[in-house]
Amino acid sequence: MLLLAIESSTGQVGCAVGGHEGVLASAHTSRGRRHAECLAPQIEFVCRQAQVELTDLGAVAVDVGPGLFTGLRVGIATAKALAQALAIPVIAIPSLDLLAFPARFSHRLIAAVIDARRGEIFYAFYRHVPGGVQRVSEPTLGSPDDLGSELLAAREEVLLVGDGALRYQGALPESSRIEVVEQGLANPSARTLALLAHARALREEWVQPWDVNPMYLRKPDAAIGWATRDGAAG
Amino acid sequence: MPAVAVAAPRGMLVPVDGAILGIETSCDETAAAVVVEGREVRSSVVSSQVDLHARFGGVVPEVASRAHVELLTPVLAQALVEAGVDGPELAAVAATCGPGLIGSLLVGVSSAKALAMAWGVPFVAVNHLEAHLYASLLEAPDLEPPLVVLLVSGGHTMLVLMEGHGAYRLLGSTVDDAAGEAFDKVARFLGLGYPGGPAIDKVATGSDPEAIRFPRAMIGEGFDFSFSGLKTAVINHVRRHPDAGTADVAASFQAAVVDVLVDKTRRALHATGATAACLGGGVAANSLLRERFAAACSEDGVRPFVPSRAMCTDNAAMVAAAGWWRLRRDGPSPLDTGATAGLRLPVIG
Ligand SMILES: [Zn+2]
Repeated sequence: MLLLAIESSTGQVGCAVGGHEGVLASAHTSRGRRHAECLAPQIEFVCRQAQVELTDLGAVAVDVGPGLFTGLRVGIATAKALAQALAIPVIAIPSLDLLAFPARFSHRLIAAVIDARRGEIFYAFYRHVPGGVQRVSEPTLGSPDDLGSELLAAREEVLLVGDGALRYQGALPESSRIEVVEQGLANPSARTLALLAHARALREEWVQPWDVNPMYLRKPDAAIGWATRDGAAG
Repeated sequence: MPAVAVAAPRGMLVPVDGAILGIETSCDETAAAVVVEGREVRSSVVSSQVDLHARFGGVVPEVASRAHVELLTPVLAQALVEAGVDGPELAAVAATCGPGLIGSLLVGVSSAKALAMAWGVPFVAVNHLEAHLYASLLEAPDLEPPLVVLLVSGGHTMLVLMEGHGAYRLLGSTVDDAAGEAFDKVARFLGLGYPGGPAIDKVATGSDPEAIRFPRAMIGEGFDFSFSGLKTAVINHVRRHPDAGTADVAASFQAAVVDVLVDKTRRALHATGATAACLGGGVAANSLLRERFAAACSEDGVRPFVPSRAMCTDNAAMVAAAGWWRLRRDGPSPLDTGATAGLRLPVIG
């Protein structure tokens, strides 16, 4: 089955087309934070490169967060609308799962950490299992100090991956047991999403487009947008 | 969330040359509509989030964005099923790309581009203000430019001369608060709840609009508006006269707003020689404004057009209508189109 994977939960936006042969084409953009502007042309591009028509797709996979709200909504709105228009299901996978998966060859405890802005991070712990990783804690919103306490309490070697780990590296406990993975794996990848989603598609682990929603983990600010409504006095 | 069909059942489809699917998510209404050639409404679905925002007393941007993501899928499905239209037969998918709340706009724009790509039809980005101008032309296709349009809502207050399709002159706009914003703030101060427009309209009915003489800012000069001083005058009056009847205060405030709006429209009609005048925007649902606007135009020998209340408040039919004219004029919009919170009406001169 062919599927399109859409990923936009951090400053990066990307998509990939994959199937039983693996990833056929992918594109990622990490500069400019212009998710809405980049995503649709990226989808056109990867489909053309992979010689796939959107109507050939059997499912749409999407990263449902946690992550940056506006970016997430661009990806999720796009995935839902594509699935609705093509009458195909959606495979929803959390961003932290996508971050941890490329670290699956390590037998250390893995912490996937995404920058949540405002001095906070989204994180979850994973362990190596045959063929991948298994999440061993629920995705959480907390401070770098909260994560630091958990790292110390773990009393074992931990591999940290994600833009949140890189940003708050200095705020984490200094210990030879803690290692932060470099920039190259700091953002969830649409290629990883395509691989994970294909395995789930074979098991028909999917949902309908109206059941897909971002994983926010943070309550909305209750500030009224007087100044931003309809561009205000414009 | 109720189970919804994702497309119209095959076999019951009608010819849809020129049918546009419109999507509107700029503020707190999630809407989708199918309109044929800018005038024939096949379906128009509006899901209001007003209850979600009422407890905050105004629109909370993050709450609105979240609601659009949840509501748009079923709203789209309903609009397509009611219209009996199959996506690939559409002439285009149009969406509001600004002005509005950026997080909300992005949900509609992203969805519209995805639908257009999936169905292999053009995408058209629509200016929300232009869509409000087209609400009148949608309901009264025989209206001919030059038209004066008074556009009043929670976010904008402007007088526009529509010289032709896509040819607008901005005659005047508010220098501070929008009229609808003044309604919301005064209603909140008076404890009348949210949204303020309908609340004030309701209590003002049958009350004395001349009980208190509130200021009419900038009346008799130019085409610009100012409502911030009026809001302050209401607050000061109630503080000085705690026993003032809320209904009389509301009625007097509403009369002051309407006086200014109607006066400026008249001045615009005299200055431009337009032969018809239209109302648009959420505040155009106000009973007193509708009545006084129509009466003033008729008195001056100009044809007034007051759209239905459903067409005044935010909806997607007006987006589909504006999208149809945009598509004919400028062709499809590129797929790298984003959303712009402060987008302005494209004007000439
Ligand atoms: Zn509006």
